[in-house]
Amino acid sequence: MAVNPHSELAKMEQIITEFFAKSLHIILESRCPFVSSRNYNSERLYSPSSSTSSFSNMRPRDKWFNLALRDCPAALENIDFWRQSNLEPMVVDVVLVQRPVNWDSARSSPKVALERNLSSKDRFPVVWRSDSDEFGCDGYSEKIIERWIVRYDSKKGGKESSSGNKRPNSTSSHALYKKSILLLRSLYVTVRLLPAYKIFREINSSGQIRSFSLIHRVSSSVEPLTRRDGAEMQPFTFTPVDTSNGKLCVLLLYLPSISDTTSESSTPMSPQFIPDYVGSPLADPLKRLPSLPMPQHSPSSSPFGRRHSWSYDASHASPPSALPSPSPTYSESRTLHAKYGIHRPPISPRHPSLEPAQAHLKDTGYDEYWPSPNFSPSPSPSPPVGSNMLKVFLRSDSAPVHIPASRLGDAPSSSNKTFLPFSPPLRAIKPSLSLVERSSSIPTSAGKPLSLREEEIARMSGVKISSNSSPHKSYSRSFSRLSFEDSFDDSEFSGPFVVDDDDLMDPGSRPGSSDRSGNLGTPHERIKSQDAAVGALVQMLKKAPPLQQDLHRSQHACKTPRPENPFNQIQIHDHHPPLASSNMSSSRVSGIKTTSDALDELKVYMDVKLMLLRQSGKS
Amino acid sequence: MNCEVCQLKELDVEYFEIREVLRCILHTIFFHRALGLVRPKDVDLTLFEITYVQCGDAELEKKVDDKIDQFIDRVEKHPNKKNQICLSFFEVKNKQATWFTHKVEHLYWEQWYINLNVAHHPKPHSGKSHHSKLVLDPGESASDEGNARRATLESSLHEVLFQIIKFVNEKKDHIPPIPNMEGVSFPYEITISSSSDSAFGMDMFKRMLQTGHPTMLS
Repeated sequence: MAVNPHSELAKMEQIITEFFAKSLHIILESRCPFVSSRNYNSERLYSPSSSTSSFSNMRPRDKWFNLALRDCPAALENIDFWRQSNLEPMVVDVVLVQRPVNWDSARSSPKVALERNLSSKDRFPVVWRSDSDEFGCDGYSEKIIERWIVRYDSKKGGKESSSGNKRPNSTSSHALYKKSILLLRSLYVTVRLLPAYKIFREINSSGQIRSFSLIHRVSSSVEPLTRRDGAEMQPFTFTPVDTSNGKLCVLLLYLPSISDTTSESSTPMSPQFIPDYVGSPLADPLKRLPSLPMPQHSPSSSPFGRRHSWSYDASHASPPSALPSPSPTYSESRTLHAKYGIHRPPISPRHPSLEPAQAHLKDTGYDEYWPSPNFSPSPSPSPPVGSNMLKVFLRSDSAPVHIPASRLGDAPSSSNKTFLPFSPPLRAIKPSLSLVERSSSIPTSAGKPLSLREEEIARMSGVKISSNSSPHKSYSRSFSRLSFEDSFDDSEFSGPFVVDDDDLMDPGSRPGSSDRSGNLGTPHERIKSQDAAVGALVQMLKKAPPLQQDLHRSQHACKTPRPENPFNQIQIHDHHPPLASSNMSSSRVSGIKTTSDALDELKVYMDVKLMLLRQSGKS
Repeated sequence: MNCEVCQLKELDVEYFEIREVLRCILHTIFFHRALGLVRPKDVDLTLFEITYVQCGDAELEKKVDDKIDQFIDRVEKHPNKKNQICLSFFEVKNKQATWFTHKVEHLYWEQWYINLNVAHHPKPHSGKSHHSKLVLDPGESASDEGNARRATLESSLHEVLFQIIKFVNEKKDHIPPIPNMEGVSFPYEITISSSSDSAFGMDMFKRMLQTGHPTMLS
C-alpha cells in the first residue's frame, strides 16, 4: 500500500516538533522552581492517590510520546518559536544564580537588565529568560550548570521519500515515534539523576528564601561557554534517533559537582573572637547598685561594676577576650538552626524536604488529557517566575532575622555540601540585619555566559568580622543587657558581685568577681553566661592568693553540698550559701579541679566577706 | 530479533537496603519499557539521594513488591550467597501443539540481570547474632564505615541507573512493536536465583537456548 510521502513527511515533522516541545517540557519541569512546585502542590491538594482520577478544573494533559506530564508554563511560554520552525536548535541553559547577601535595591539596575536582554537578543535571535528582572541585576553571580541542546540535523540534500512503497519510509514515522518515546523516557529519568535536580528540589522543598536559585534560558543558538566553564562541564549524549531525513539529537553538558557553588551554613561555624562582646568597656553603660559604694581609684571600677564574669582588670592578667566567644557561637549556631530548620541530611544534605523515615510519592493525580497527536498548545497565563520569587521574598520579610552575619557568612570550603545562608529579601532588606557582607559580585555582561570564578566565591563567602561587628554587636549587646537586668533583680547576689573591686583592694578577701547571670531568658543564654562566668572565676581563682590565714579566723564551719551539675549554679541564689570550713577551703584553694569546686570556693569567699563586713560594721 | 542481555553492576547491599535498591532498579527498567501511555510518578528513596521514576501503574507496583518480598525471603533462606533477579521481556509465540509441550513459548528479546550481594543480617525476632555480619559495636568508626559504605552503594546505584539509561539508548532496534497502549507494553517475567543453586548458571543457559538466537552480552 502506497504511503503518501507528503503525509509521511508531515508526520515526521510534527513528531520532531512535538519532540522539541516535550523535551523542553521535561527539562523545565525539573529545573524551573516554584512553577513546578505550584503545580504539584495544587494537584496534590486536589487529587487523590489514584492516578486515574480526573478533574474538570485541571488542564488536559499532553499525551504525546505516551508520556502524560503535568503542565509546565515555562515550557509553554518558550516553545512557540520551535513550533513554527523546527530547524533551529533549542538550547536550554540552566543557570545557578547566587544572590549577594547584602543585596541592596539601590544597587540594582533594571536598566542594566534591560540592556542585557536587548543585547542578548541581538546576538541570539531568540532568547527567553526567566526571573530576568530580579536576577539580572548587578551583584548576582550566575553559573551555567547545565546546557541542554536539542536539535534536528537534517541530511543535506537529504533524500525525501519519493516513493511510499519503501518500507523504511512507510515505517519511518512509526520508528521515529517509537525511538523518540524511548529517548524521552531516558531523558525523563536522566534529568532526575543529575546534580541540578538536587538544587531544584532544594529550592522547592521549603518556603525558605535562599541565596541561590535556578533560572533557565532558552535560545535558538549555542552561546559559547568560557573556557573554564567548558572544562568543568561533562558531556552526556543521548543516542540520536536516525530518520530518513536526518538525525534527532539531545546533548547535555553538565557540571558534575555543584556543591562547591552552593553552600549553606548547616553546620555551626567555628568559634570566633568577638572583640566587642559583653563585658567590654565599649559596651553599654554599667548599672551600679546604690547600696554598695564603688571605688573611685580603681581603674577597673567600670568593668567590675558589671555583673559578668569576663570583666577583668589588667591586674588579673586574664584576657577576657577569649572567654565570651564560645558561648555566643553556641547560642548563635543554635539560633541559626532554629531559624532555618536545618536538618540536613546528607548533603549532605539531600533533599531537605524528604523525611528520612518515609519516601515521598509525589505524583498522584492526573487529569484528562488530550489524545495524541492533536496537541494544541495554549500557554497558560501564569505569572512570571520572577514575581513569584519576589512574593516569596516579601513574604519572608515578616520572619525575624536572628542570625548574626558573621556566623552565616563563613562558607567553609571543606564543607562541600553546605549552602550559603539565607539572605534578606530583595526589596525589604534591612541594613541592620544584613547577614554577610560581600565585597563584590561578578557584573553580568549582556549576552555573555556568566561564570563564578573561584576568587569571587572566596570573596563572597568570606566573612569580614570587623565589618560585621555592628549587627553582631547589637545582637549580643542586647542579650548582655538582658542578662544584667535579670541578675540585678536578685539582691542576694548583687552585693557580693558589685563590690568585687573592694575585694581587689583587700587581698584578704577576694571572693572573685565572676558573674552568675541570674535569671536569664533562655536556658541557652543561662548556660552560656554560666560557662563564661565559671571560666572567668576559675581564672581568677587560680591567680588568687590563698585564703588560709583568713579562713582560719572563721568560726563558721559548714559543708557546702557539691552541686550535681556545674550549670545548676544558677540556683545558688535560692539558698544562702553557708561558710565553708577552713580545711575544706584551703584544699579547694590549693587545687580547683572542677567548676563546681570553683563555685564552692566562691561561696566560701562570699561568706568570708560578709563576715568581715559585719565585723567591720560592728567595730 | 536478538535477545539483548544487560548484566548490571553487582551491588553490595545490606539486608534493609534490598527493597529500596530493587524498587529503584526494577522500576527504572520498567519505565523504559512501558512504552504505552504512562503517567510518571517520581519516587524519592529514603536511604539514598536518588529519585527514580515509576510508571504510575499500581498493578505493576504491586507485582514488583511481591517479587521483592520473594527475593528477600530467598535471601533469608540462602544467606551469604550472591543473589540475582532476572527481568525478562518476551514475546508470546504462537502455540504449537506438539507431542512434547503445550506451553506457550516465550521469545525473549531482552533480559536484565540485577546482581546483589547481600550482607545477611538476621531478622530482629530471630536474634541469632552469630550468623550476622552486622557490626554492632558502637563508636565513630562503625558509623563512619557505615556512611562510607552507604555512599559507595549510592554511587554504585547511580552507576547502575546510568548503565540502564545507556543500554536503553544504545539498543533500540530489538524492541518489538508495542502491543499495548497502556502501562507496561510487553509481557515480562521476573525470576530469582542465587549462586548456590545448581541451576544458577543453567537458567541463563536455558534461556539462551530458548531464544534460539545468539546472546549478545553487554
